[in-house]
Amino acid sequence: MNTPLRDDDPELRYAEYVLGVLDADARAAVEREMQESDAAAATVAAWHRRLLPLAAEIADREPPMRLWQRIRTELRFDPRDRQPPGFWENVRVWHWLSLGAGAIAVACILALVLIVRQPSAPSVTYMASTLAQQNGNVGWTATMDISNARIIVVPAAPQGLATGRAPELWLIPKGEKPIAVGMIAADAPITLPLGPALLARVGPTAVLAVSVEPPGGSPTGQPTGAVIATGTIASAGSLATSIS
Amino acid sequence: MTAADGMRHTLEDLLARTADRDRRAFAELYRRTCARLFGVCLRMLREREESEEVLQEVFTTVWQRAASFEPARAGALTWLIALTRNKAIDRLRQRRERVLDDPIDLERLPDERLEPATEVESSQNYARLANCLEQLEARQRRSVREAFFSGATYKQLAERCQVPLPTMKSWIRRGLMQLRSCLES
Repeated sequence: MNTPLRDDDPELRYAEYVLGVLDADARAAVEREMQESDAAAATVAAWHRRLLPLAAEIADREPPMRLWQRIRTELRFDPRDRQPPGFWENVRVWHWLSLGAGAIAVACILALVLIVRQPSAPSVTYMASTLAQQNGNVGWTATMDISNARIIVVPAAPQGLATGRAPELWLIPKGEKPIAVGMIAADAPITLPLGPALLARVGPTAVLAVSVEPPGGSPTGQPTGAVIATGTIASAGSLATSIS
Repeated sequence: MTAADGMRHTLEDLLARTADRDRRAFAELYRRTCARLFGVCLRMLREREESEEVLQEVFTTVWQRAASFEPARAGALTWLIALTRNKAIDRLRQRRERVLDDPIDLERLPDERLEPATEVESSQNYARLANCLEQLEARQRRSVREAFFSGATYKQLAERCQVPLPTMKSWIRRGLMQLRSCLES
């Protein structure tokens, strides 16, 4: 192949911008042009389409669980400052649910699941856990929505949290170290994503636990404060066949 | 694989719904793309903490600017990867005089070629690009690849490869122009 080198090709700077070889000033200049000229933006987009498929060679890496919580916090998704809550996030629904913690809660959750379930879902699997405190009271209830890879954690009346400390949820697979699920709250339901590592380990042999941590979460990746609630995990069933 | 995969929304759908302030769509978009994009951050920044910060920045930007996604220009995954790379490169440019890397011997740099595990359309695009890359002269190919994955400037690349700056520029520019004609043929 013998394409002549054309240093003056007007496209070159855009290609170099996408490849990532320009210094900060030259990058800023291209970005200004993109804002001012549609043709410049289109040329950059064309180079994105050409070069970015190379990113397929980069291996996927699972970010830590607490990153999603950090994003939610930054975007003020916290239930306290949200506008109209979605069904799953509706505080009253969950508060009502947690009053009947345990088996009743599981039954209620299943009933709700039937209501909100999307009709085309091939199968829907849920697991539930009641996180009891040392005094025997229910601290939180947790529902693991396996199909959607998430866990919904609803406070009942948790105790034992000092001011300035925050509850962190852990999954403890049998014979393994605790794995951080994410930060939860004592006064609001929280939905957290379940990554592949957690999904693979959620089950009847694993335990959920809540420990008391600094507000941003355990600095070590392992529980550092007192464990104030624990619960075993029970299958709440697969609804695949019963309601299709 | 979860059961929900059977009824997957496309990433384009999820991005459009995110633009409409649909938090569930946004959460799903995060769940489906975070590992891909975190991989990109780690590869370029090679520091976990900084990669987490950049990924957080990426998704807050996605929430705020999802409406600026134009499906006619690029697929959703391309848009997300472009956004991630831009933020990672900006971060790299802010690093001051850090001794970044060991020298590179372009003669010995391996040409990785992996089977991409992503969606069908992107693997077709990847195959075409990989094919065109293979047609480049070895030093051009390796400099383009190294530039792409490291996000380093011409100057840094020239230093690391121990070649004069004009040589590095010439390899990469020739490589880019040849890639364009190959991809468009």
